[in-house]
Amino acid sequence: MKDPSRIYRWLLLVASVVTVVYLVGAAVHENYLAQWKTVQREYRDILRQKATDDRGRELLAKFRVEMKQATIPALGSVDRCVTCHNGIDDPRMTEVEQPHRTHPGHILDKHPVDRFGCTVCHHGQGAAMTFREAKADDVFWDYPLLPPEMTEATCVTCHDGEKLPPEQIPLLTAGMELYRERSCGSCHKLGGRGGALGPALDNEGAKTKHQLIMTSLKPPHTTWNWQLAHFRDPGGVVPDSLMRNPTVTRREALALTVYMLSQWKRDVPESYLAPDKIEQKYRALHPTPLTGEQVYRQYCTACHGNGTYTRWDKKFARFVPAIRGVSLVSTASREYLQTNIEQGRPGTQMPGWGPHAGGLLPEEVTSVIEYLRASAPAAPSMTALTLRGDANRGLSLFLRNCAGCHGMNGRSGIAPEIGNPIFQQAASDEFIVRTIRNGRIGTAMPAFQRPEAPALGDQDIADVLAYLRTLTGHKSQKAMAQNNTPAPPAGGRP
Amino acid sequence: MAETATREFLHNLHDLPQTVKDACFRLGKTPESEREESQATFHNLFLHIHSVRVHVRTLKPTLTFGLGLMATASFIITLITGMLLMVYYKPSTDLAYQSIKDIHFTVSTGRFIRNIHRWSAQLMVLTVLLHMARVFFTASYKKPREFNWLVGLGLLIITLALSFTGYLLPWDQLAYWAITIGSNIANSPREFTDAIGITKFFDPGGFQKRLLLGANYVGQDALIRFYVLHVFVLPLALVTLMGVHFWRIRKDGGLAKPEDPMGGLAEWGGERRTVFQPLATKTYGLMALVKGKRPPVNRGPENTVMSWPHLFWAELSVFMVTVAVTLVLAFYSDAPLKELANAAIPENPAKAPWYFLGIQELVSYSAFTGGLLIPVIVVVGLALIPFLDRRPGGEGTWFGTKSERPIFWQSFFFALAVTVGMLAFTVNYGWLRNWFPNIHQLWIIAINPGSLLVVIFAAWSLFVLKRKDSVRLAAVSLFTCFLVGFTLLTYLATVHRGPNWHFYWWPSQWPVH
Repeated sequence: MKDPSRIYRWLLLVASVVTVVYLVGAAVHENYLAQWKTVQREYRDILRQKATDDRGRELLAKFRVEMKQATIPALGSVDRCVTCHNGIDDPRMTEVEQPHRTHPGHILDKHPVDRFGCTVCHHGQGAAMTFREAKADDVFWDYPLLPPEMTEATCVTCHDGEKLPPEQIPLLTAGMELYRERSCGSCHKLGGRGGALGPALDNEGAKTKHQLIMTSLKPPHTTWNWQLAHFRDPGGVVPDSLMRNPTVTRREALALTVYMLSQWKRDVPESYLAPDKIEQKYRALHPTPLTGEQVYRQYCTACHGNGTYTRWDKKFARFVPAIRGVSLVSTASREYLQTNIEQGRPGTQMPGWGPHAGGLLPEEVTSVIEYLRASAPAAPSMTALTLRGDANRGLSLFLRNCAGCHGMNGRSGIAPEIGNPIFQQAASDEFIVRTIRNGRIGTAMPAFQRPEAPALGDQDIADVLAYLRTLTGHKSQKAMAQNNTPAPPAGGRP
Repeated sequence: MAETATREFLHNLHDLPQTVKDACFRLGKTPESEREESQATFHNLFLHIHSVRVHVRTLKPTLTFGLGLMATASFIITLITGMLLMVYYKPSTDLAYQSIKDIHFTVSTGRFIRNIHRWSAQLMVLTVLLHMARVFFTASYKKPREFNWLVGLGLLIITLALSFTGYLLPWDQLAYWAITIGSNIANSPREFTDAIGITKFFDPGGFQKRLLLGANYVGQDALIRFYVLHVFVLPLALVTLMGVHFWRIRKDGGLAKPEDPMGGLAEWGGERRTVFQPLATKTYGLMALVKGKRPPVNRGPENTVMSWPHLFWAELSVFMVTVAVTLVLAFYSDAPLKELANAAIPENPAKAPWYFLGIQELVSYSAFTGGLLIPVIVVVGLALIPFLDRRPGGEGTWFGTKSERPIFWQSFFFALAVTVGMLAFTVNYGWLRNWFPNIHQLWIIAINPGSLLVVIFAAWSLFVLKRKDSVRLAAVSLFTCFLVGFTLLTYLATVHRGPNWHFYWWPSQWPVH
């Protein structure tokens, strides 16, 4: 009988050889061939070359090939970057190749590695022991290493961006300026202030790549790449985006990207905060009101432009009123403007801007009204209206003359909503009558009582007014009175 | 006097290696006769579970492919690597992820150890499933091995539970969302209770989910629960049941074998003689009572060989092959570790571990049917096999009874066609909800691709039962259908299901989010 276990002995031999080979291989691979050990041996050679004085010899003698890390419990970080970047605090290493080179600038003087670590500024995976995994742009890690030029985004973790010298944070400063200048706040909220058409941007920098739509983005799929592409062409990155193309240069897009990356409400212990950051936090709780013009520039211009002409908005297929136009300003009362600004215009893209909605301070609403009204003198008050209108007759006049632009029932047309409760509440009879008579200069609203061709007589206008007043029933007015903060207007968010 | 004591001391010192060796090993030397070989077996705690002699068929590689042993080997590997990992792992939602990162980056060969643990765990699930198929197709569950089949089923469930509980521990996105899916599968009875509107009074689904997670969501309570199960409760249960399993193999007469495996003849003293045929339950213990007929005179022995060394060579080689395979896999492929778990960023698609993906595919049709009803039917069905198929025959032989092989192939292709057809239809045309949006959920619970597959497979099996007039063949057809269905569903869900559980030919076609 032939040996029944012969095949097994061969199998055992082969399997055991494979086992031993792979165990030894893994031990060598994981311990002796580790990337960081090679790097440190290189660095020791550099130290040896530079050991020309006592200090240099001492540094060489102290050097050990071993894992090095900065453990910062307060920031929740364990940064092992210094395992390979051995020379960052050695001023003699400015000319050597990376990763051995000295940290550029004088930042480490005030931000020693053993107190701050690396990832609080640079992001990346601090725990990693290879460069690929530390850089972390193609491994599973939420915050990969920031490109060098964007690192200034993280300065505001502990500093107030407004108080840092602009030459140290050029892109961030430019980004902040652009954000105000381009009136991004018309649609986006930041710190509770801003419009409601776009998403709030308070934690934009904390987003990971999984929270952004990367489908139409060319690789690499990083968050900053997304921001850059998005500022150049919002609709190309986010299909159905409501955002208008901000038409920015490459550098401006970069500046805005850095500003977005800086938006991260990161919890950092107070001992790490610069005094100006603490002041900034205090100021956020006790804000200084902006001037009327500043408010208008930051929060109105994206939709209303300079406010002297009516703009046709293609995206929303409606006219945006000329709120600094002479006809409106000269006829509208302060109360009318205040109601419209504070509560918005439901049914349109105009959100409310009161303290509980858009976050403007009461003083700021007042000053922006002053700013609007300063653009034209108020017209003298009209003689009292005496005619009683007939709403049924008004309906047929309305359908013939008004519904084409303002829509049936004064809703959902291309022109401003005049059927909605906020308008009804805010607009006085005088304001309505006067607007119908004189029209709105610089807009599509014609005058219906030009001396040469009076389309509507006084009685007709009184009838239309009577009809308009039927559009909001008693019930809805009561509902409005109970609810001063209207919901944000309908319309998709990007 | 003093001189002799010194000499004695020096003599003892000289003999020390030999005396220590003699003390450790009862036999103390390499066995040279069959008697000593027997002693080598039954004088060793770890070997004495084996009989002294085994039938030569036991050593035939194609009889078992060593699958059960491989499962055991991979369990031992996970046990050892698991203990090493436990030294560094911290079961807290704040620390778990970082501790895995540290194991990966800084613990010496920690990455390799974790990879071994991961791969041997996967290998264990796979070999346990294949071992079950082997036992079924060699009809090795038949009397007196019915109980061991049940123990094996228990071991299968514990193996799955071990792997599943281990899945959560790294506390990364993969873990978090896989367990979220898993716990929602536990919650699936709610689909039924919701449909008939009694969830408010009777909510077994919610109870199961809370029992599993210790909360309504995957959090610290779930993590510590899974940890305790993974490192203590389940391994202990597994080791206990494994002991019973092995002991029963021995007591039930070793590997199942036919009545006359070699034509009833054996070599004996240079001539072929009729084999001495003990009962299947015969044991070799000296004090054991041998039931049945007394050993007949003038007959040859069984076709047996000594366990030492032949069986032990075989077992050791299978063990080392498992080790080698695991090491090679672990060397080249890292165990996955995604981003830190984040409840605000759902994985899409969130997939359960691969062995539950078949169930997840069924759950995507109907949570109750796929997550509870069908698994229960499958487990109960598997448990009943040895009690419904009681006619002896075919034990220890692949497809041992008449026309078993043709029935296997017929069932294989039947199940293949039906399952592929059903899945292709569902992927292309949707199901009831797509056609009748307002249909009552009870209809979908009752009629969905999963339940239809079960009904079709059962009908096929009944057809075989009537036509072939054999319970074994009916069981073969049903088990084959189950295997094919399980494999195809798992394959579909693993490879072809992408974001929002939509069908994609390859993961490279998934929209990047």
